[in-house]
Formats: sequence, C-alpha cells, structure tokens
Amino acid sequence: MELTIVHLYPDCMSLYGEYANLAVLRRRLGAMGVAVEIREALFEDTPDFERAGLIYMGAGTERTQKAALTALAPYEEAFKTAVDRSAVVLFTGNAMEALGTCVTDADGKVWPGLGLADFTSVETHERTPEDVIAHTSLWDSPVVGFMNKCSVTKGVATPLFERLSLGPGNEEEKGPEGYVSGNVFATHLTGPVLVKNPDFTGTIIRRIFAANGWELPEAIPALPYEQEAHEVTLKELSARCAG
Amino acid sequence: MRSILAVLVCKLLRSIGGLIGKGSSLPGQIALKICPDVLGRVKLPQHIIAVTGSNGKTSTVEMIAAILTACGKRVVYNKEGSNQIEGVATLILSNCTLGGRMRGDVLLLESDERYARHTFRWFQPTHLVITNLYRDQLTRNGHPEWVYDAIRPAISPETLLVLNADDPLVSCFAREHDAGKVKWFGVDECPSSTKEHRGIYHDGARCPVCKGRMVYSCYHYAHIGHYSCPSCGHERHETDITVTSLDLKAGRLTIDGETEISLAFKSIYNVYNILAAWSVCSLAGADREAMAGVINNYMLKNGRMITFRLGDHKGVLLTSKHENSVAYDTNLAYIADTEKPCTVLIVVDAISRKYFTGETSWLWDIDFDQLGCEHVQKVMLYGRYCNDLAVRFKYTHIPADKIEVGEDIRTAADGLKESGDEDLYVITCFSDRDKLLAYVDRD
Repeated sequence: MELTIVHLYPDCMSLYGEYANLAVLRRRLGAMGVAVEIREALFEDTPDFERAGLIYMGAGTERTQKAALTALAPYEEAFKTAVDRSAVVLFTGNAMEALGTCVTDADGKVWPGLGLADFTSVETHERTPEDVIAHTSLWDSPVVGFMNKCSVTKGVATPLFERLSLGPGNEEEKGPEGYVSGNVFATHLTGPVLVKNPDFTGTIIRRIFAANGWELPEAIPALPYEQEAHEVTLKELSARCAG
Repeated sequence: MRSILAVLVCKLLRSIGGLIGKGSSLPGQIALKICPDVLGRVKLPQHIIAVTGSNGKTSTVEMIAAILTACGKRVVYNKEGSNQIEGVATLILSNCTLGGRMRGDVLLLESDERYARHTFRWFQPTHLVITNLYRDQLTRNGHPEWVYDAIRPAISPETLLVLNADDPLVSCFAREHDAGKVKWFGVDECPSSTKEHRGIYHDGARCPVCKGRMVYSCYHYAHIGHYSCPSCGHERHETDITVTSLDLKAGRLTIDGETEISLAFKSIYNVYNILAAWSVCSLAGADREAMAGVINNYMLKNGRMITFRLGDHKGVLLTSKHENSVAYDTNLAYIADTEKPCTVLIVVDAISRKYFTGETSWLWDIDFDQLGCEHVQKVMLYGRYCNDLAVRFKYTHIPADKIEVGEDIRTAADGLKESGDEDLYVITCFSDRDKLLAYVDRD
C-alpha cells in the first residue's frame, strides 16, 4: 500500500504548525502498513496531481493566499480530474476559500478560485481569532480547534460541520462551517487540526483506504496522548461555552 | 478645563493605586473618559521614543532608559509594560503638571504593536524603533502581516523610523516613508550566522512584497538575516548602525567597528536588543562612550530569568512566552549550549494570563529537537496541556524513556525535590511560572 500526498505551498501556506497534519497522517498510515510519500509543491512547481492520493493545503496570510490562488489557477483542470477520481482533498484555514468560485479581498479586488463549489468568500478588516467546537454527522466526537480568519464565506450548500457550539461559522457565529463533498474536506480551522482530532483523522484515513480499494482494519487506533489531548481541550472549551 | 481635570484625576488615582499596589491602566482609562483628546492637549518633551515589534520590546526599552538616564536625561517610561493607550495615558498624565506640561526630557514608550495606531492618534513619536515581526500570540494577533498592517497607519510621516534591516517584513515599513527619515540597524555576517535556515518554519521563505522566493546569503536566526528577492528586488538595506563583528561564544561584539561591548547574556536576541537600544540612543544624541559604559555587561532587570533551588537541584526558570515559538527556541538553544547534565521541565497549564484559549498549535512551531542532546537527561512535560506536549514530543528525536508526562505541577516539584541533583531548567510563561515557583526556594 502506497500513498502520495501532495502538499501545496508548505513554505508559506503555513500560519502555524499546519505541517503536523501530514506528519500525523504519515505516522498513523505508516502504523497501518501504508508507505506515505509527501511531495511538496511550491509556487514555481507543477503539482503532481496525477499521482496524488491526498492533496493538502494549509492556512496562509491573506496576501500569501492570493499568491497561492494565482499559482494554482493553471492547474485547475488537473486538480478537478484528481477530485473526480476520488483523491482525498483537505484544505484548512483560508485554503478552503480556494475551492470556491472567488475571494474578494478587503480592497474589493476579486480573485478567482478553483470553482469546485459555488461558494464565495469576502475578506474584511476584522479578524475573528477564536476557539472552536464543531459538530458533524460524519463522525462521533466534536471537533476542537482554533479559527484565525478575517473573511465571510457564503453559499456553502454542504458544510462539513452542521453547527458550532463555539466559534465563527462560514457566515455567522456558531453557524454551519466548512465544506464537504465526496472526498473533499475543507474547514477554516487552522493549525494541526488532525493532530487535535483523532476521529477527523480516522475519517480521512477511511476515505483514503476506500478510494484505493484497500481493506480497512477493524480499528484505527489513535496514537498515544492524542485522545487525551482532545478530551482536555474539549472539556476546557465546553466549560467556556457553559460559562 | 476638562484636560486639567483629567490630569488631576489621573494623578490622584495613580497615587491611590500606588498605595494599594494596583492598576497602571485604570487612571488613564478614566482620564480618557473625562477628556478623550487629553493626550493631544498636553505638552510633551522634545524626544518621544517608541519601541514596537514582536519580541524584545521590554528589554530594549529598559536599556534605552538606562543609557539615556546615564547621559543625564530625565526619562519617563512605562516600565510596568502597560503598553496600550490607557497605560500610556496613565504614564503621561501622572507625570504632567496641572498646566499640562509633561516633566522629563524623554518620553519612552513600549508600544503594543496592535494598538499603536490608537496611542499615536494624539501625538507622534519622534523616533519609532521596530525590532522584528514574527509569530507571536496569534490567537490575538492573527499573523505577522496582519500586525504589520496594524502598525502601518500608526506611523506619522514626521517620525524617524529606526528599523531592523535584517527583518524582511520590518524593512517594508520604509517603502512608504521618506527615505531621509529612516535609519537602519543590522548585524554583519559573523561566525554564528549560518548559510542554511534553522527552525521548524521559515517566515522569510517568501518575499513579503511579491511572494517570490527569497534568497539569503546568511541567517542570524529564524528569518532574520541578509536577504534579497530576485523577483522584485526587495533586499536588506545598507545599515547606518551596525554590529560589525560578533563572537557569541566569547560574548563580545563591536558596534560600527569601534566600540567593543561584552554581553552578560550571550544570545543573538540580546545582541539585537542592544543594537536597537544603541541605535535610537545615538540618534537621540547620546554620547558613544557613555552608552558603552552602560551597555557593557548590562544585566537586564526585567526578571525573565529566575534562579532558585529545589531539593538538591540548582534551578533556572527561563520565562518563555507561550504562543511565541521564537521565545521558546531561544531558551531551548540556551539549554542546549550549557553542556552540563540537566533536567528540563516544561509547563503549559494556562496558555495566557490575560485571556482564555485552548489553542496549542504553536507547540508545533517550536524546535524541541534542540533538547535532543546527551546532557539533557530528562524532559518533564507538565500542566493541563501536558498531553499536547507529549504528542508534540512524539515527533521529535528525543527517546521516550527520557520523557515524563503529568498534569499536576506539584507532583513535578515533589518528584524533583526528592531525587537528583542535576541542574534544572524550567521553561514556562508568565501565566504559569508562579505555579512552580510556589514550591521552590528563590535565590
């Protein structure tokens, strides 16, 4: 079992610790007998979407995100072809916005996205860095994490999280958040969201196995301390909600 | 009239606050309510020096104050670090005559990078030092470019900018400023600089102007070094005030090829703080010899390093701001350099003392592999977020049998008290340090 992960723009689409999402995937898949190769693509490179079993892009600054949109534009077709053959896609932070039709920056300039879905994002001069508890029907436990965005995303028909009990949603506080369609997952959560949420990682792993026709073992165990770290944060954030 | 009342109320509250040992921002807050433009009405001294940036503000301000005081100037500054507008108002107004004239020759301000534009709405600094911009408290600050955009509107065209030439993002402040009103400080290539970037992430990988790939001829630390962008030409500016030679191991540096300074704390960060302080003081007319006299072997008083005993252990607490990977990396490098057998205790219990967050992503930006050296015998990970630390350490090369994980800080202290006599280094933040210091004997 071999998996190629394409990591888009790791040198700069990285607000903090995004690389750890792939480190944990590599570690957990490795424990399940999958040899993972991570191929990094910089702005100057042609991303190897043809071989990609998973495509990842993390959060960047607003200016870096625009450079990423520009760099990615010539490869729109190759990206969509990968999605059509069920490659798993995970875009976190403002990388999510690249999947929509466009991003309007705070000066009003419109930047085209990949157009995988009909949603649009508009940046503002206000930032909402906030802790998040998010709920999805795709797996059991709530997702915890942090959002660090300055945009509003409208028109998501299929959000990844139906509701939040803490934090800003796509359009409103505690509203639906993220985007999911088939094997494409996107959320504005920043940083190592897969490290902090072993069940989210488990779902990504299941999708990778299914897309490749590999036989899935009965259990997909989390790594030591991961579950405990998740629970402590969930407890802390839940107490915050209640208070 | 309102401004006189504001000054009076501020002074009164300040002295009551002083008596009960409380509050440096409340008097200013109330004074601003009484007279919102009071800071625009008072007469300020000839020199108003402000220091902003991610790291090193407090230390730089302390050294500027020491130098200028030694040069015979009366310096009024916010040593309590209340660096938002209310704290600044308290400082200014409590040092004012009822006629609205501030006493002192120099007003020296550590300025919060996000709120500078509020503070400098009513008056403008004559000199603004910008030390560096990097990932710091992103749960409040967003990211370094966001902070850059927050500082920019605070800059008046009349202000003399004193910029770190070695920081590619800080250098951008000069792009829209009169070139005659910018002075640059920087460090020449030296034995401790490297050709390759070190650290987990590289915020200088891309040009802040055009996002092209940046080229470095040398790095001093993180993204601080000698850079140029082949795409748009953004490059390190020639420096006006320069560390022309630096021997970190020996703890010696030379400024502008003529003044030798010994370092009490042998770190590159200390070098930049000294250089920033030196630069602005010389621009404000301080005498070179007097400056050297103060800064030579200068021991910072701001208490970020605390020595103590715990059982038979000699302990050093290295205050490291949570959510600030550069601060952590600095202290990890310090421990790696000690080369004596030691135990390291890292405590992450409350991420901030000022606000709530459960955010621990920043742990992934810290280069904990620096502790992967033989003399570090044990690494203890404690506090509420010990599991997050433990997960992070699973991705270092430090063997699992050297690592101990626990939530209760008292258990860590008791264990250390009972056994061992190796040196102990504690890495933690202001928010958590007293939780350990409660169990030690301070030196």
